Formats: sequence, structure tokens, C-alpha cells
Amino acid sequence: MRAAFRYLGRGSWLSRRDPRVLILVPLLLVIGGSQMRDARQLAVLLLLAFGYYLLARIPWRSVRVQWTYLLGVIGVFALFNALITGGRAGTFIDGPTHVLLTIPPVGAELTAEGISLAASQLLRYAAYAAVGFPVAYALAPGDLAIALRRLGIGDRIAVMVELTVRFIPTLAAEFGETVDAQRVRGYDPTARGGGPITRLRRMAPIFVPVTVGSIAGAEDTIDAMDLRGFGVGRRTWSRELRFGGADWLVVGATMAIVGLATFLNLSGQSQHYLLPFLVPA
Amino acid sequence: MNSMNSGQSDGTWSITTRVIVYAAIGAALYAVFNWTTFAIQIPGTQNVSIRPHFGLVTFFGFAFGPVAGFLVGFVGNTVGDQLAWGSAFGSWWWSVANGLAGLIAGLFPVWMASRMTSLSSRAMTAAVAGVIGTVVGFLFIWIELIIQPELGFNTILTGEYIPVIVGNSIAAAIVTPILIYAWEPLREQLGR
Repeated sequence: MRAAFRYLGRGSWLSRRDPRVLILVPLLLVIGGSQMRDARQLAVLLLLAFGYYLLARIPWRSVRVQWTYLLGVIGVFALFNALITGGRAGTFIDGPTHVLLTIPPVGAELTAEGISLAASQLLRYAAYAAVGFPVAYALAPGDLAIALRRLGIGDRIAVMVELTVRFIPTLAAEFGETVDAQRVRGYDPTARGGGPITRLRRMAPIFVPVTVGSIAGAEDTIDAMDLRGFGVGRRTWSRELRFGGADWLVVGATMAIVGLATFLNLSGQSQHYLLPFLVPA
Repeated sequence: MNSMNSGQSDGTWSITTRVIVYAAIGAALYAVFNWTTFAIQIPGTQNVSIRPHFGLVTFFGFAFGPVAGFLVGFVGNTVGDQLAWGSAFGSWWWSVANGLAGLIAGLFPVWMASRMTSLSSRAMTAAVAGVIGTVVGFLFIWIELIIQPELGFNTILTGEYIPVIVGNSIAAAIVTPILIYAWEPLREQLGR
């Protein structure tokens, strides 16, 4: 199993930015995007986010599974919400609804308002993903901890996050090896017999060795860090980070979007928008 | 070498080297299993599935403290989201909820130390801690009523909160004690 963040955006304009930019932009966009409800405004936000995404030059073939998963899962959930609420949520909570379809036997109604709400959700999450992908694929390995530290996260937590990312490929490989080793001993990971509890307990031969083995193996890492004085005093970092003009431009533009989103939200100009082509004439 | 020699204190809320490394391992395991979408559907339900790897969050909290539990849940879910669908911060409230579940599970050894006199009582307490941590920790997702106004109360209740606490509570109640039974003898051997 290949589970890792690959540096696919190497050499792109975005990968040459200060690594803090790649973390700040998605964080700020989530703050801005969660204040926007109007699908038209969210469509513009998605366009801008996609422009940012293209600057990372991530090969489509490497991330198409994630995009498909994202749009599929969010789309299904948004549709589920549209059916459960009948479109009576958000700005449409008190108003009349335009029923397009009634689904038997429960009589759930698919309304124009429900689809409009689903569209807002989908646009928002697609924008989040567009600015989120560069964090995994355009951030240079080894820059994550220093970027978090310079954003104000403590030394130890910054190192913890980077350790997590570093451990992923190793633990994924151990997981695969454990499954193979147990298979040789007669374990069948694909067995379907028994109820959910039985199937859950049947996973113990995988979970236990991988988890306990990883924890036991961590002792060397802990000793190595302690021997190097980790956590004793203030940590120094070999790399210096400095914002350039282009970095300020990107962060400034994102903060302007957040400011605009906040203004629109507080002034009541970002209400849910009923897509006109859904309303029966 | 132990953490006392390196000048780091060992209180419940201390962030020692040990806590950092264990939390990183737990978070990485949780992220990997999250990414592989390892789930067992409960028959007769539409969207209630058991995610066995959630037991890792409550196990790490119970075994290594509330700080480790919070970091495993929060960072593990964040990194797992980034791996699965490319957005670490898009569902930040779910990461916080996972973290709170691990944190609450990690408080039980502190509160009930005197009652956990045997391995079986420790494992039983771990199961209870996992369930309570899940039910209370995931209350945080109700923040969606504010930040995701498209979602109705019923959607959050029937589509998110109930399915997740049923599935995760079952995972925590079964997986956490299994891991406790496996870890405790080794912990005594290692002298931790």
C-alpha cells in the first residue's frame, strides 16, 4: 500500500513559496468560505481556489481518486441533506419550497431549495479541496515542522505533526507486511462470515501486532530524541523562513477574500441563493 | 534514559518526548486506516458503520494520557482527511471531535487509578472510557448548526451524530480493551 504525501508539485511556482503560505491559504479560506452561503459567491471562490490549485501543477492522474472521492461523498451527503430537510434549512428555513420530486415510500421531497443548498455545500468543499491539495503535494518534505513553528505552533507539537507524516509510509508498509504474514498463517482478512462484532474482533490479528509493535519500536526514537536534548530548551532550526513579495501577495489576497466574506456575512449579503433554473415556470 | 533525566516532567498534561512520539505513531496509524476506509456496515442500517481503527484514538488516550489522546484524534483525523480527500481543514470540527474523544478517554486513568487494580478492571475501564469519550467528544460536531447552515438539525442528528457515536462506541468498546490486554504486559516488561 502506498500511503504517503508525494512531492508532486516540485518545481512549481507554488512550491517555491514560503511553506507557511501553503498552510495559511487553506486555513484562511475555510474561515472565509464558512461565512459564504450564496452559490454565486461560492462559485467565484471556487474559481479563485482552482486558479491557486493550478499553480501547484499537481498531475491530475495522481489525485483523480481523491477528487472523485471528495465530490462523490460530499455530493451524496448533500443530496441526503436535501431530502431530509426538504430544502427547509439555512435561508430557506421559513419560506415556501418548490417540490420537484417526491420519493416514495417515505414521501421525501426533493425541492429546488434543497438542490440549491446542496450546490452551495458542494462548491464550498470543492474550494477547500482545491487549496488543500497543495499542502500535501507542493510542500517540500521537511518544511512542515518549521512552517508550523513559525506560525506560532510550539516546537514539540510542530515536530509531532512532522513525525506523524514521516511515520505514515513506514506504518503503512508494516500494515501490509502484517496482513501478508497473518495470511500465511491462515488468517483471511476478507472473510465475511459472522456479525459486525465477530468481524471486528477478527481484525485483532492485524491491529494488535501493528499497534503494539509500533509502540515498542518507538523506544529507540524516544531515546534518540532525548539523547539529542529534545524538549529540554528552546529548539533551534537549521532553516530560516522569510516572506517574499509574492508570498505577501498571495496571503494578502486571501485575507482580502476573508475580509470580503466577513463583510458580506455581517451585512446579510450572503444568503442562500435559489437557482432560478430549478424553479418551475 | 527516562524523561526525568532529560528535564521533562511527567504530569498528566506534560508534553514529553514519549507523549510526542506515541502520539505521532497513533496519529499516523489512525490516518493510514482512515485513508483505507476500513469500515464494517451494521446490517439493517443505511449509514451506520463501525470503524475499527477509531479504537486507536481511545486506546492511545487511555494508555498514554489525555494529551496523547487529543493529538492522535485531532492530528490523525486531519492528516487522514488530507490523504483521503485533499483538505486537512475542510472538516476541522470532526478533527476536534476526534481529539476530544481521545482526551476524555485519557482522563479516566487519572480519575479512576485507585479502582484499576487488575488487568481486567483496567480493560473494562478502558472500554467504558472509550464509549463515554466518544459520546461526549462528538457533541462538538453540533457546531455545524452555525458553520454549515445548509444542514438541518435532523440531518446532523440522523446522518452524522447517531451513526458516528453508535459505530465508534462499538469500535472503542471492543478494540480498546483488546489493545490494553496486548499492551499492558509489554509495558511492564519495558518498565513504563
